[in-house]
Order: sequence, then structure tokens, then C-alpha cells
Amino acid sequence: MEMFGYIWQYVYTSFLRYWLKWLIRQATGKCELQRICSGYKPGATRTMKAEFSLKSSKSKVLRGALETKKDDLEQCVNQIMKEKNVKPQKSPMFKESLHICLLQITGYNSLYISVEDLRKVVFSSENQEHEAMLLKLWDLLMPTVKLESRITKQWGDIGFQGDDPKTDFRGMGLLGLINLVFFSENYTEEARQVLSHANHPKLGYSYAIVGINLTEMAYSLLKSGALKPHFYNTVLGTPELRHFHQLYCYLAYEFDKFWVAEEPESIMEFNQYREKFHNIVKTHLQDPDVSLILTDTLAKN
Amino acid sequence: MGLLSILRKLKSTPDQEVRILLLGLDNGGKTTLLKQLASEDISHITPTQGFNIKSVQSQGFKLNVWDIGGQRKIRPYWRNYFENTDVLIYVIDSADRKRFEETGQELAELLDEEKLSGVPVLIFANKQDLLTAAPASEIAEGLNLHTIRDRMWQIQSCSALTGEGIQEGMNWVCKSVNSKKK
Repeated sequence: MEMFGYIWQYVYTSFLRYWLKWLIRQATGKCELQRICSGYKPGATRTMKAEFSLKSSKSKVLRGALETKKDDLEQCVNQIMKEKNVKPQKSPMFKESLHICLLQITGYNSLYISVEDLRKVVFSSENQEHEAMLLKLWDLLMPTVKLESRITKQWGDIGFQGDDPKTDFRGMGLLGLINLVFFSENYTEEARQVLSHANHPKLGYSYAIVGINLTEMAYSLLKSGALKPHFYNTVLGTPELRHFHQLYCYLAYEFDKFWVAEEPESIMEFNQYREKFHNIVKTHLQDPDVSLILTDTLAKN
Repeated sequence: MGLLSILRKLKSTPDQEVRILLLGLDNGGKTTLLKQLASEDISHITPTQGFNIKSVQSQGFKLNVWDIGGQRKIRPYWRNYFENTDVLIYVIDSADRKRFEETGQELAELLDEEKLSGVPVLIFANKQDLLTAAPASEIAEGLNLHTIRDRMWQIQSCSALTGEGIQEGMNWVCKSVNSKKK
């Protein structure tokens, strides 16, 4: 059965799709990209379809658009219109629509590169910026308690493992710390609320460690491409780093809600519940209208 | 169906299952070691909340390796995993000299546990890729390993990061399971 699937897919993508598109083009007078841009509202469905269309195009100009730099995209759209013989007078919206699609598609890839760059930066105690960020995290989460020294058991109160957080960032590097600080800075009330749940004597978990773990979740979802529908729906242009940090905030807040509702027996169950939560997020991401934004909170961001 | 079941019968007896417990302080490298054993990517590791478990085939054994988080808060839960352990692997960060005393104390407590009595112990002197790492001999001396009389033990220097020394350690694990079963 599987074999037939492969053969059909091969025949379809290499011959049938091409002829089918040609036929529809003759009938409607519009190329596939035009039909996509006029047939679907801005967002994930439109952009994903445009992405697929460009990727499987026989034209170098169209395929090349996916690797074009942000500043050259406008010119690139003009080239595509020329190649596909699209008249601006006949479809006035097309240029802008395709431009936005391309900003989203290429922006997703460059967002991944920026995120990966931050992840690769190892937290260093010699770096004053890193140190300042760490201390800022403390002050944001524990405004009434003073840190007694840089190396202290107090770090355990915000969920680091030992008396020096520097060894806890591991494979997530500076990205893990930046996400923690971003959540505390932009959603201070929510972050403190999550921390208070995390410090619950029975249902508690290690706030910072779990946060670093959720950064890993956000990172691998981004890397696999699973976050495309979310960013295509929520950012009508180039997604920036702050949009990634915002997604982390969503995960941190929602995971806490989930954990509290599930009432796990102990912290030892963490990985099972993490997987369960991960599956819930992945199911949301299957929905073409998905938008993973912190809602029903006190956020004013 | 018929052919399949015959083929299944022809296949040699299923691998013997071995329960391995991976313990040690936080940031010792337990999860990296676990992922190396399972030939998985080690570049995105985060601190372990709770535990990880993986099954690895090796030398006719099915090794079920339990990697339990090492932070102080979690250590009281270690004992929940002692039962039926065949081999204990204790991982030490050889470059973290400040915590040698703490790690020695935890190990000594483990060796006193009734449920772990007689269980062979392999000590991985990990992070040998770091210039500041103490050699295995120095760690063995500091931990007074030579005074262990009630079980088989071995110390193996390794780097979970590069994979060096891990195979040698696992060979010893399989050997000790074999000799215990006899």
C-alpha cells in the first residue's frame, strides 16, 4: 500500500500537478500564487500554501525567493510577477500579499538562525552582561529579598539546582536565561504567580530548571518547523526574537497551569507530564488558526 | 503469519534485561552519558527534573538505564529506584574539586543502603576532556575506594562529551553482571 502512495506522489508532483495547474490557469486566468493570495485570508493557510507552491516550482526565480534576503524581497516579488505575467492593475493586492508571505517564510528561517546563535552562547561568569542579566532575574522575581552573595543557596528559591546557576543553562546557553528574564520582565505578575506555584511544598517544581527545559521545547518546535503556523498567524511580517521569547512565555505560563491542574504525585513525574504537555502543544499547532498567545492573564504587553 | 512465528522462534532467546541505576550530583554528566549510550544527540541537554530512562542493547543484554536527577532537592527520591538494581553507575565531575567531599558523602551513603548491598558499582570519573580534571587514581584515593570489600567495584575515567572511556566502563558492567549471575 505504501508503495502505491509513493508512486502516486511521484507521478503527481512530477507530472499531474504541473498539468493540473496549467489547466486551471487557462480556465481562471490566474497563476497558482494569485489564487492562493486571493483565495485565503492572510495567515498560516495562505503562507503555508504559498511556501509549498514556491518550493515545488520549476522556476528558479520562484524557488530562489525562499532564500532571498529581507531587503531584496520587494524586488524579488516584482520578478515573480514578471515571470508569472501578473498584471498589477488586475490584481492590486497581490504584490503586497506575496511580499508579506515571503517576509514570513524567510523570516522564520532567519529567526531560527538568531535563536540558534543565542543558544550557542555559553553563560560565562566573566561576562558582565551575563552576570547582570542573572542578577536582574533575581530582582524581578524576588523584589523583597536581597541576594546575600553571588554564590549562595538562595538560588534554589527561584529553582536553580545548586548555589551557582551558571552550570544549569547547559545546552540552552544564554537563550535559556534570556527567556527567563523576558518572562519576568514583561509578564512580571504572571511570572511571580508561576514561581509561587513552583515553590508549593507538595506540587512544586524547580522554576528555573523547568523554564530552561521549556526553552528546549520552544527551540525544538522552532527547529522542526512546527511553529510555522503560529508565527504565520500572529506576525504579519518578519518574526523577531521577541516573538520567540513571547512564545516561551506562553509555554511557561500554560505549562504551570497544566501542572497545577494535573496534580502530579511528585516532581519525579516531570518528564511524563512534560511529554503530555508537549503533545497538547503539538496538537494545537495542527490547527491552521493556531495562535499561542498568553491570554486570560493580567498582561498588558 | 505462519512464517513470521517460525522466524520468531528461530531467533535466539530474548536479551537478558539488566537494571542499571545512574546516580551522582547535578551537573556530573549523567544525562549526557545516557544519551551517549543510546547514540543520541548531546548538544541540547537540559538539567534533569525527575528522571530519564532508556534501553540500550549491548553484548546480549538489554540494559535499562535509569538516569535520576542529581540536585539536592531530588536526592531523597533516589531510594525509590533502588529495588532490583543490577549495577550502580556513579558519575563524578572530575573537574569540580569543590564538591569532591559532597559527592564522596553521597556515594558512601549509597553504599550503606541495604537495598543496594552487594550491587556492583562502577564509578565514572567524568569530564576528563577538561584540563582541570583530576585523574581517576586521585579520585579513587580521595573516596577511599580500596576499602570497599562487600562488592565488585571499578573506577573508569571517561568523557561523556567525547565518548572516551564509556565503552570500557560498559564492558565492565556487562562482565560484572555475568559473574554475578554465575
